[in-house]
Amino acid sequence: MSLPEPLIPKSLGDALKAKAGKNVVAIAGGTDILVKLHDRFDDPQPKLLILDHLKAIHKIAITKKEVTIGPLVTFSEIEKSDILKAHASQLTEAASLAGSTQIRNRATIGGNLANGSPAGDLISPLYVLGASLELSSSKSKRIVPIEEFFIGPGKTVLKSNELITAIKIPKLNNHGFFLRLATRRALAISKVSVAASLIIENKKIESIKIALGAVAPTVIRATRTEELLLGKALSPQVIADAASIIKEEARPIDDIRSNALYRKEMVGVLLKRGLEGILNG
Amino acid sequence: MVRNNMTEPTIDIRFYLNGIAFNRNAPASWTLLRFLRDALGYTGTKCGCEVGECGACTVIVDGQPVNACLILTPQIDGANIWTIEGVAAAGANELHPIQKAFLECDAAHCGFCSPGMIMSTIALFLKNSNPDDAQIKQALAGNLCRCTGYIQIIDAVRKAASKITENDLQKFVS
Ligand SMILES: Cc1cc2nc3c(=O)[nH]c(=O)nc-3n(C[C@H](O)[C@H](O)[C@H](O)COP(=O)(O)OP(=O)(O)OC[C@H]3O[C@@H](n4cnc5c(N)ncnc54)[C@H](O)[C@@H]3O)c2cc1C
Repeated sequence: MSLPEPLIPKSLGDALKAKAGKNVVAIAGGTDILVKLHDRFDDPQPKLLILDHLKAIHKIAITKKEVTIGPLVTFSEIEKSDILKAHASQLTEAASLAGSTQIRNRATIGGNLANGSPAGDLISPLYVLGASLELSSSKSKRIVPIEEFFIGPGKTVLKSNELITAIKIPKLNNHGFFLRLATRRALAISKVSVAASLIIENKKIESIKIALGAVAPTVIRATRTEELLLGKALSPQVIADAASIIKEEARPIDDIRSNALYRKEMVGVLLKRGLEGILNG
Repeated sequence: MVRNNMTEPTIDIRFYLNGIAFNRNAPASWTLLRFLRDALGYTGTKCGCEVGECGACTVIVDGQPVNACLILTPQIDGANIWTIEGVAAAGANELHPIQKAFLECDAAHCGFCSPGMIMSTIALFLKNSNPDDAQIKQALAGNLCRCTGYIQIIDAVRKAASKITENDLQKFVS
């Protein structure tokens, strides 16, 4: 690997100006991009834009209505954040299960999103938390709901002159879970993941979102299963019904990590485990 | 920026390595792993998979264990880095208590994973000097031992934990 001179901006403004340049690729934790560049010798090599020093987008903040996470916040920082434990337990759980200690210390939330893998573990939690992303260029800024950000595997609506500059999560008093299945507990990419966020009043499910990772070209919502559960009280029968229809919502493929049939079955198993966890308090 | 004779762009960086201040010109697309081994001659940090899977290149940067194969030289500007070479006290004729525990428990078979295992162990102790087995396994989950000597390695970490004092750890974060 031999790359052109990297760009090392000291401020977000400088970074956004530099991002407008030709063939400029941002690098945050580097845990995806350096793996991709490792065996790549083809031209033209990208000019790396090193985000490490941009403190302004490396923090977690909370206001009355929402929690804002800077894109450079690492998995380790998410895992430890009291704010996120209180308002986004699905996200802290997902961050704690991914990679290894070494990877979590470098991997960032912005990199997980921009990388666009349907197996990115922070994505399904952000779907069910109703997150939105702030995408900025040197000229403008736009807010994109997370479900409109991904177009396909590795493909997002991020323009070449844009950076993700914030991830915003509305404050909800939700129950929830994130469960994943991988070959081993550490250092393995998810074969399947299920995230959910529920608001339960007087035992009745007043609101529910379920998202599935690694079983479609992008993370997807399980809307039919959500509809089935909405308005009901959790019971073993309701959970069994939900676990059986959610299998049909998954659209997995066979690949090196798993096969479609197994993935479908496991989506049901993970949903069942998660909902039982809530039912049994 | 200047170019070195390999026509690679280089960058001027400052960092601390094992407690010593460095100011170096580094090839900007080199990983910290390559820079340590090929430019500085610190070959104690091992080069295994180069894609973050094996942990053989684990070093401590600003108190945290990271894979040196997944960091570029411009990203360590201003950092405080510790490698296996700095673990035993400088000039002392004695190993660090963690290294001693690895020896005593036969935690090295071929020894290739040992530097990374030891750096991950130090990082664990910096957060928790009295870990239970589950916490030890979690802390070492990013370090592979291809001889599969995990039992002895976990024994060594447990033994090291029983011996370690704050003094043995202080330098890694200062
Ligand atoms: C050994 C190993 C294990 C892993 N395990 C897991 C796992 O269990 N779960 C999981 O989800 N992932 C895993 N990953 C993948 C990776 O660690 C994550 O996707 C991580 O979140 C990437 O973040 P990063 O900061 O390292 O990204 P980088 O590699 O720095 O960047 C990734 C992409 O995002 C772009 N980018 C980064 N920041 C921004 C920004 N602010 N704005 C716009 N674009 C940006 C970059 O240009 C690049 O295209 C693993 C990786 C390795 C090497």
